[in-house]
Order: sequence, then structure tokens, then C-alpha cells
Amino acid sequence: METSERRTSTPRPRQNHLDLARRILDLVRDRALGPGAHLPEQLLASQCNVSRTPVRAALKLLADQGVAVHEPGRGYRLSDDLVGASALFPRLPGAAEEDLAGRIIRDRAARRLDEAITVGEVARRYQSDRRTVLKALGALADDGLVSRAPGQSWVFAHLPDSPESQSDSIEYRLVLEPAALVLPGFALDHDRSAALRRELVALLAEPDERLDGGRFGRLDLEFHMLIARGAANRYLSEALAAHHRLRELPGATARVSVVRLRQSIQEHLQIIDHMEVGQFAVAADLLRVHLRLSGSQRPRAANRGAPPLAATPRRGG
Amino acid sequence: MGGPPTIAFFPEASFGAALNCVGIARALRDKGARPVFICHAGFSGVFSEYGFQEHHLPASDTTAPETYWQDFISRHLPHFDLAPIDQIETYVAPTWEAIVDTAVEAEAPLFALLQRLRPDAVVVDNVVMFPAIARAGIPWVRVVSCAETELPDANVPPYLSGLKAGDAAGRAAFDARYQSVIGPIHARYNQFRARHGLPGLPPAQFLETSPWHNLLLAPSILRRDRAAPLDPALFTYLEGCVRQEAPFDVPDFARKAGPLVYVSFGSLGAMDTSLIQRLIAAFAEFPARFLVNVGGFRDAYRAVPDNVILERWFPQPSVVAKADLFIHHGGNNSFCEALYSGVPSIIMPYCWDGHDNARRAVETGTGYMLQRSDWAPEDLHKTIRTALDDLGMGDRLKANGRDMAAFSGVDLAAEKILAVARQREMPSVRGSTRMLRETWKP
Repeated sequence: METSERRTSTPRPRQNHLDLARRILDLVRDRALGPGAHLPEQLLASQCNVSRTPVRAALKLLADQGVAVHEPGRGYRLSDDLVGASALFPRLPGAAEEDLAGRIIRDRAARRLDEAITVGEVARRYQSDRRTVLKALGALADDGLVSRAPGQSWVFAHLPDSPESQSDSIEYRLVLEPAALVLPGFALDHDRSAALRRELVALLAEPDERLDGGRFGRLDLEFHMLIARGAANRYLSEALAAHHRLRELPGATARVSVVRLRQSIQEHLQIIDHMEVGQFAVAADLLRVHLRLSGSQRPRAANRGAPPLAATPRRGG
Repeated sequence: MGGPPTIAFFPEASFGAALNCVGIARALRDKGARPVFICHAGFSGVFSEYGFQEHHLPASDTTAPETYWQDFISRHLPHFDLAPIDQIETYVAPTWEAIVDTAVEAEAPLFALLQRLRPDAVVVDNVVMFPAIARAGIPWVRVVSCAETELPDANVPPYLSGLKAGDAAGRAAFDARYQSVIGPIHARYNQFRARHGLPGLPPAQFLETSPWHNLLLAPSILRRDRAAPLDPALFTYLEGCVRQEAPFDVPDFARKAGPLVYVSFGSLGAMDTSLIQRLIAAFAEFPARFLVNVGGFRDAYRAVPDNVILERWFPQPSVVAKADLFIHHGGNNSFCEALYSGVPSIIMPYCWDGHDNARRAVETGTGYMLQRSDWAPEDLHKTIRTALDDLGMGDRLKANGRDMAAFSGVDLAAEKILAVARQREMPSVRGSTRMLRETWKP
């Protein structure tokens, strides 16, 4: 999450090239193309209903990410060493406005930006033009993170980075995620699921001192998005996907100890086991348990020498 | 029975004691024991997050108002600026009152719980004795996780005084005032003990040494030269006893250059948002990167500079390991973690044994002390620069950190606790237990 956006010196890809790169990846998955498979420009152009020029730009983007390689005179093919979910589902760099939106929201989460901002202020701070700033703020507004206020200013919504928000998030997901699994028509993306399993198993094999919380966070999100994408009901699917996008924001998920982190990976693997054989009701029950165990119960405050904790009011029981 | 020994930990309701016990409990679990935790209801979840079973003492009937902690901090903030001797009436006495209240309130449910659990040993990391533990007839181990001053000695300055070693006049004044103020609370506590068949404790003492075994965090580099050295058969020094946490990746700062400084005043200190605001404003003008623990109060801050990152919670031992300097309140865990990672401290003490640790840091050349609120930005900058540039201190601390890491205090603690759990008979009264009784002249 933190890595790509900071490289401000490299020019940002255009949004239509990014969209096209994602469509090409979908085609690769649909056709189960393996490492080294040829990616003919003309065929991709006709499949995606565009000309060859944007296809070439999208393929170059995939090559920059290590997913594809270019051979002079022969065109593009899939890279030979495609392994793991991150290879088939790369985190493509954001477009300029996406990058700026990410920086704005991170700086708001870090309390560098005040609750209300103006376009001019943002343009100056990030050395960006008004058009890109407006697009970035528009994208944030689509996710409900900012709203236009009277005059020139924009106002941030309350970010989901408090223990109360985390607790609300768990409750919200307890209602929707198991429902997404048990509603008739749930369709698991088996490729994503298999790739995710490999990555979870690899992370679980790491010793405590290398059990990286950031890596876990990315896989956790991928796991829950797998359920959101699989839902047959599109409103449910969209609601969950939008909520998971919020969970990507800085501070939106609680840090956990290595012990809980390991338990959580094992719970993910167990749920995947059941989803893969179509036992969605069992998977839904295990998911409820997983979410309940993930509910943060940390007390608010206490310290040596301070009066003992009274029944400090907490939410969520 | 023949199953794995059950070890019941009963830490004080503070993160320092709680997480210290977690480290020891993990080592015990690795050795095949079954550690469980007894805790106040307000601490539920802390231990289960580390995979341990929790048993909660019932919460008090009176529900605290929503503003409980805010009220607490607004009441006491002015007191934290006072000298340790002036905190006796304002902070220390009400705190002892509350601690005695907890012990009284916990007695019946704790006794019932111990009867039900029947652990092979109880580990008490607290500042007060719960008669239920002695009455249960179960071997118990005391963890002294405060500064070493918690165990009195003629050569050791009084607990909570922040005095230099050898300050006879200061000692007399502090002792006299402490005993006159704390005396009535202590008398009430001794009456409570008597009601449950326990002998009274000497003035100012609320917790006896265990006749089975006692564990002290105090690392060698801070160790006091005692008039009556502690009996090694009854006392073990753990060299810090630092737990392992998940690794910490230093986040990307918008202003990247400079050494890394970690700032945390514990969950109590995090409530003093106006002080932390002043600190952050001063940090903006210093060429370093600052990670600041602000607890649940992130919304109290605005215009955070590019070289400062605020977080609600940090995996502290892993963060300290990557820091070049640790600014803290002198909590014993924080100080031990700084020493364990070979990192210099700037201690800005608020209360309790923070004063003792701040003084000891200066006496032993392991850190610097700064009054918590009486400073100008230039003073703070100067102290930070001095601490970062003190290569002699840095080298000494690095070497000491390597020694502490090699010592593995958590494993030693686990072995001592298991040895106690295997004992069936209470050892005869000896060593410091006798010393405490003999020195008490009511």
C-alpha cells in the first residue's frame, strides 16, 4: 500500500491504459494462459474492442510490473516466472489522480491535512494542477471520503481509523460476509483462491521475527475480496468491495500480535478449504467465528500507578 | 493428575505488567506449561490476543462515566508537574487508596477463582498483596516489575522519591512525609490483611516478598549497591525480561532524512495531548524522524509535520529496536526495552517509579532526564542532540544490549516459576521476608 505511490518522479500511467491492462489480465485468467504464453497485440485489440496503440501501452505497463516481457520482433508474452497471487493479480501503479487521492487520504489520516481543504491548497502542497486535484477529490468523493462544502472547500468524512470504527466494521461484515457466502449462486474464483492459499501458506511458514503485518494485511484484504467478488448478489458484492476499499485506508485495521496473526491465517486457510469444495454454509459459520475473534477488545487506557481500571465503557460487548 | 503444570498469572491492570507477564507466559508455554491469566474485566482481550485463556474478576457494580479517563487526567495533570515529594498527597495517596480498594474488592472473587482453577503456581506482578493468594495455599512468585527501589534497603533511595543515592537529608524528608500521608491508608490495608489472617506489613509496604521466589526486572547496568544484598536463593534478576513482538517496518516519512526517534509516554501519558502537541511542534524544527504514540487521541492533533508519524499503538519492543533514541516517561518496561535494544533514553517522568528510573538513568549514564513540561523548544532540541551525539553512551548501551539479549530473562523467569510449581511445601521463612518483618516497628 505504501510503496508505489511515493515514486513521484516517474510519470503516472493513463487511466485508460490501466483499465486495459486489467482487462488483459482478466483475459489471461479466463483463458488459463500459463507462463511464457504469447500475448498477440492484434488479438487483444479485437477482444477488447480498441486499437493496437493503447494495447501496446497496456502491455508495456504489464512489462514494467514484471508480468509480461517484450521480445524485439516477436512482441509480448507472459513472464516465465509467474508465481503466486501477486504475479497474476499485480498491484498496478495508480493513475496520476489515483496517486494524488492516495497521498491526500494518507496525509489526512496522518493529520497533516485539516478537516477542510481547498483545491488551491492541495495543488500547492502536492505541486499538482487543478484538473488532477479535482479528479482526485472526485474519486475520494465517490468513496464517501470527502464532500464538497460551500465555497471552494472540501470536507473530509470521519475516517475509519478509531477503535469504534474497527468495531463497527466487524459488526457490518458479520452481517454481510456470511450472507454473501450462503446466498445461492456464490461463485469462487478458483485461480485467485489457489494463488492466495499458496501465499498464506508461505507466510505461515515464516518465523515470528519475519511475520510481516503489512504482508498479512494485503493477503487479508485479498481473502475478503475473494468473498465479495464471489457473491451472486451484485449489491452485496459492491457494498462489501466498497467497504474493503475503506479498510485499505491507513489506520483502518488494528495491529495484531503474532499469535493472533497466525491464528488468523489458519482461519483463512480453513475457510478456503470449505469454499473450494463448495461447502459454503460451513465456510460462512467459520467466517463468523473468524470475524468475532478478530474484533479488537483492547482496553482504552491504564497505567502503572494509575487507579485500577473501572468498568471503562466499551462498545460492542 | 500428571498433566502440564497450570501457572496462573495475575498482573496489575497496566500494560507494563500485563505485557511483561505475556513474555514470561510464552516462554512457559514453550516449556510445556499451561499459563492462564487472571485479570480485571477492563483488560479482557489483551491476553487472549496472545493465545492465553483469561479469567476475569467481576467488574465493579458502578459503571464509570464515559469521561472517566478524561476526568482522571484533567484532575491529575497539574500534579504530574510537581516534584516527587509533592506528589505524595496529590497523586500517590489517592492511587494507593484506589489500589487498596481493588485488593479489597477482588478478595472474594479471587479466592473463589483460585479454588476453582487450582493452579500449580500463581505469578503476581503487582504492587499490592491479595490475601486470597496466600490463603489459597498455592505457591506464588512475585515479579518486581517496577524500579528496583520497590524493594527497600538502607542504601536505596525511597520508592517513588526520584532521589539520588546517598541523599540522606532528602531521604529523611521524603520518608517522614510519605509515612505521615500514606500511614492511614497503610493502616487500613493492614486491617484488611488481618481480617484475612495475614500479618501486617511494615510501614509503606503493601506487598511482601514471596517466601517461594521473587523475580526482578532490574538489569545489571542499573543495579543498586544494597546494604543487605538480596538472597540469590529467593531473588533472581532477569536482566529486563523483554518479550518478542511482530517485526516493525519503519513507515515512509514524507521528510525522510535523519535519525529515528520513538516517543511514548504510555497510555496514561498519551492523554496529555497538550504536552504532546508542544513536543510535535518542537519536533518539526529538528532534523530527525519521530514516531509518536498518541493512544486513542489522534483527532486531537492537526497540521502534523512531515517528519512526525502518529499512531494509536506500536509493537513497542520491535519499534525501539529500530530507533536511535527513545523518549519516554520512565515506565520500567519502556526503560528496560530501551536498554535491551541498546538505545539511549530521554526520560520525562510523570509519576510513580518514572521518577526513580529517570534519576537512575542519569546516575548510570544510560539516558537523560528532562522535566516533563518545563522546557523551551531549544532545551528539548539540545537534549535530543546531546543524546544522539553521545557516542560513548551509545557504544556502552549497545554492548549492554547484546549482553541482555544473550541472557534471555523470559526463559530464566519461566524456569524459576516451574521450579516453584514443583515445590509442595512452603519454604521456611528466611532471607528478606524475615528482614521485612524484623524491620517493622509498629
